[in-house]
Amino acid sequence: MLLDALRCRRFRNLESVDIEPHRRFNILHGANGQGKTNLLEAIYLLSAVHSFRNHTNAQMVQFGRDSATLEARVDRGGHERIVRIEISSGGKQVYLNNSIVRQLSDFFGTVNVVMFGPQDLSILKGSPSERREFVDDAIFNAQPAYATEQQHYDEVLKQRNALLKEPDPDRALLDVYGEQLVQYGADIIMRRLDFIEHFSPVLDRTFRRIFDPDFSASVRYDMKWSSKLQGIERYQEVSVSRAEIEQDLESGLEATSGTERERGYTLIGPHRDDLDARLDGRPVGTFGSQGQNRAFILAMKIAVITYLEERYHFAPILLLDDVSSELDRQRNRQLFDFLRQRDDGQVFITTTHRDFIHLDEDLKVFEVDDGKVIDA
Amino acid sequence: MKSDDPITNLVSAFARLPGIGERTASRLAFYVLNEPDSLADDIAEALMAVKDQVNLCERCCNLTQAETCSICRAPDRDHSTICVVANAQDLRAIENTGEFDGAYHVLHGVISPLEGVGPDDIHMSELLERLQSADANGGTEVQEVIVATSPSVDGEATSLYLSKAIKPLDIRISRIASGVPIGSELEYTDKSTLSRALSERREL
Repeated sequence: MLLDALRCRRFRNLESVDIEPHRRFNILHGANGQGKTNLLEAIYLLSAVHSFRNHTNAQMVQFGRDSATLEARVDRGGHERIVRIEISSGGKQVYLNNSIVRQLSDFFGTVNVVMFGPQDLSILKGSPSERREFVDDAIFNAQPAYATEQQHYDEVLKQRNALLKEPDPDRALLDVYGEQLVQYGADIIMRRLDFIEHFSPVLDRTFRRIFDPDFSASVRYDMKWSSKLQGIERYQEVSVSRAEIEQDLESGLEATSGTERERGYTLIGPHRDDLDARLDGRPVGTFGSQGQNRAFILAMKIAVITYLEERYHFAPILLLDDVSSELDRQRNRQLFDFLRQRDDGQVFITTTHRDFIHLDEDLKVFEVDDGKVIDA
Repeated sequence: MKSDDPITNLVSAFARLPGIGERTASRLAFYVLNEPDSLADDIAEALMAVKDQVNLCERCCNLTQAETCSICRAPDRDHSTICVVANAQDLRAIENTGEFDGAYHVLHGVISPLEGVGPDDIHMSELLERLQSADANGGTEVQEVIVATSPSVDGEATSLYLSKAIKPLDIRISRIASGVPIGSELEYTDKSTLSRALSERREL
């Protein structure tokens, strides 16, 4: 997965940017507020179509202009494609090789990125939704159809919750949405379990190699609502069938039917699940030190890349947003050791200090200054 | 809110139509203004006529100018098979295939609690009446119901709900097949579509 050329027009403070990135390391250097993260955001958008920042379309367009354009030439396994996104307050339009993409599900998977920024450093202590997002992003990278499944589940969930808020919900209709919730919910849980089963051993290997060979790192899927399947440790070869998950969702819905009517929303299902991260058997988020937390998260991010390379045989583009300033010197060195040891893989790194970045070959440095990007 | 300016009023009237934004609405308004009067007359007349003359077929709820629609009146069609569709556009789409010679039932919507549409807000009770009494179906007893709502989440929920209501009546009920669209790529098909296409596969 290679980004050969990137063009931004009227995107945030980037009036007109054209760069030809290096196939390995690209350092985006400049003071704060000059547009470094905007450049990463542009690449991220060309992959996921939504941003990692919570902003409206209009906010992404340069002030006083109607629309922004992002365009990239990407190469995947020798196959070259032109990806373009037009952003205006009315919405986004995606083009692949100059033809309009009508269904995003046909587009997802064209550009693969893994993002690592300061906001990721809190995921182990943050809310479960942040950890679900980590899992979902990783699955989505390799299995684009997952986005459609999630959309279906969300729709059913919204309809069901709307029905639960009615003073006297139709029983038969509630059953209908219950059945659909079970079907679509099982799709999502199966995908997540499958990911975690393969990911957890990679994470353990990564953590031991990079940080400490004496510690074991693991993650497991946590369905707190499930009586039988609570905290299935799939990596310990305890396998669970789709039928069992469906059955468990059904009985979960039954058990909570009174409470959910009172509260007016669905209390169980994959939208409430969590990722349980453990270091030597103890939850890292609550028991781990600050340093252990950061090491664990760094290992998770590195392990996702390794997982995608090993299982799906492609290297995603890695976007590192100012992480070096957040990591201590040792972890920072460990991160760059990993990056250098890989044979391949394109990386974009933003930084305010060039000397944070322990790289001195296979690279290009771009100076970012007031929305202008110069190949230094 | 009505203003005193007829142009502003026309623009906001056009803008209430689906798919028409403020800018298109104002382009349409100025177009009508600059064309000869006959255009405005024709449009006004056609708009009033559609509301005055088109009503729902008393049997199948299709749009018609008479009491019953031309399909329900056709003697050579099979009135014992009813194809249930969400709206008149879907009926037209199925008619255009020329593959179906039974009767229809138009729901005029799909169930969606989010939009405040429940089972009683679509024309389901008329359908159940037709299934329960031959009189309500022009004298023919219904043998089979084909549910042809879209395979979207709402269309599926509506179809499931219908099947629960129809099952006790002991009438054959089927759902149109869904699967991989012709001309699409397997690799980009979502898992639920693919798995359904697999489970509903047919012999070659």
